[in-house]
Amino acid sequence: MQAASATPALALRYACKRDGRDEVAVSASASSVHHFRLPDRDAKTRFIDAVLDARCGRDEELELLGEDVARLKPAARARLRRRVGVLTSAVPLISNLNVWENISLPAAYHGTPPLDSIAEAARQALAAFGVDPERLFARLPDELGTFEKILVEFTRLLVATPELAVFDALGDALDSADHARAARFEAEYLARQPAGTLIYVDLTEHGA
Amino acid sequence: MIRILREFEGGVRLFFHVAVRVGALRRPAMRESFLRQVYFTGVTAATGVVLRASAVGALIIAFTINVLDADVELAVKILLWVVLREVGPLAAALVVILRTGTAVASELAMMRISGQTEALRHLGIDPYDYLVIPRVIGVMLATAALTLYIQFLAVLGGMLLSPFMINATFDELSNRFFELVTPVDLYYSIIKSLLFGFAIMNVCCYHGLNPPDLTHNAVPKAVTRAVTQSAMVVLVINAVFAYLVFGVLFFGLVTARV
Repeated sequence: MQAASATPALALRYACKRDGRDEVAVSASASSVHHFRLPDRDAKTRFIDAVLDARCGRDEELELLGEDVARLKPAARARLRRRVGVLTSAVPLISNLNVWENISLPAAYHGTPPLDSIAEAARQALAAFGVDPERLFARLPDELGTFEKILVEFTRLLVATPELAVFDALGDALDSADHARAARFEAEYLARQPAGTLIYVDLTEHGA
Repeated sequence: MIRILREFEGGVRLFFHVAVRVGALRRPAMRESFLRQVYFTGVTAATGVVLRASAVGALIIAFTINVLDADVELAVKILLWVVLREVGPLAAALVVILRTGTAVASELAMMRISGQTEALRHLGIDPYDYLVIPRVIGVMLATAALTLYIQFLAVLGGMLLSPFMINATFDELSNRFFELVTPVDLYYSIIKSLLFGFAIMNVCCYHGLNPPDLTHNAVPKAVTRAVTQSAMVVLVINAVFAYLVFGVLFFGLVTARV
């Protein structure tokens, strides 16, 4: 009989020390939306890097989707990383690939899921934001506006169907209208991943 | 000195990475990148640049025949020994260094500087797999193909041009050429051009992925190092390979003991 895989109670737990003192200690329960406010840019960068790589440094502790990343072997770490998506400027689009190639690259490299399903999911996601997918697919990243680039990065994340999504602060690059459009990312993600966990990461007012 | 050793070590590591991971070319994304590289290096170069390189081959033979007051025998030997064995692979290597080597080194350096290679890693894609293997294998095959184009056009150009300068017909020249040419000549130039393509891309990918620093000023430096070292490696391979196969080095100045 096959054991049913239980959803972990905590989707993420992260702790970081600096100079021997607790600097950051955050956790996020599964299937919910969280807002983390970290003290400064350095702490935010370390957190994002740890989640992106599913790896933590000497002064850090990280549990992702119920797994202590410090104990993971490379193959298990690679599998875990594919269950987590991060929307951040640290993972830009590849400039010599067009939008479709950027969105489909992870699937085309790993051989799964099928490209047909990626194309369909990407079309739906882009159309939900009022963008003509066919026109956008053929364009290069340098031909896109700031919001369009973020939208493509979001679509790339969305089609990978991550159980845990982390949205790094979108910054001041967007105007208020684009911020309002970007606010719909949450609804789009949860519509496709109803059991997913979403974490927004930003700086405290002091850190900003 | 330390930099030279580090670059040598990096080149050797890239060599082993390509050798061990070449099977990754089966993945659709890698196959696409491989075909794109073959098209860019082998097909688009074949129209303009190859014609010019072939004209250079024809001019070499015309000039040599004129200066040496050559007869049919010597004209055909020059075609075979100089144009087919040496000028063809070297001209193809030159085209690949100037066209593809510079493009790859600058493209990879820009990707490294703008954080795109890190982005690939974060997406679970090995940058050395995705960026290096399709380029190295694609350019190897394209260099061999370019060598064949250039050899064919240069030999044909030489044969068409020679009757105007020496007392021999095209038929005489071609008959004598096919008597003298052996399969070794063809294998020699094809294997050499595969090695050239491999070495050029190895050097260019290494310098592209390891620019001296992460500012935009590092891009031209990476390209310059890639081009100069590629040219040097090609000349060394050419000399060593000629000595190993024919026992002759530096156009006969050094000869192997039999």
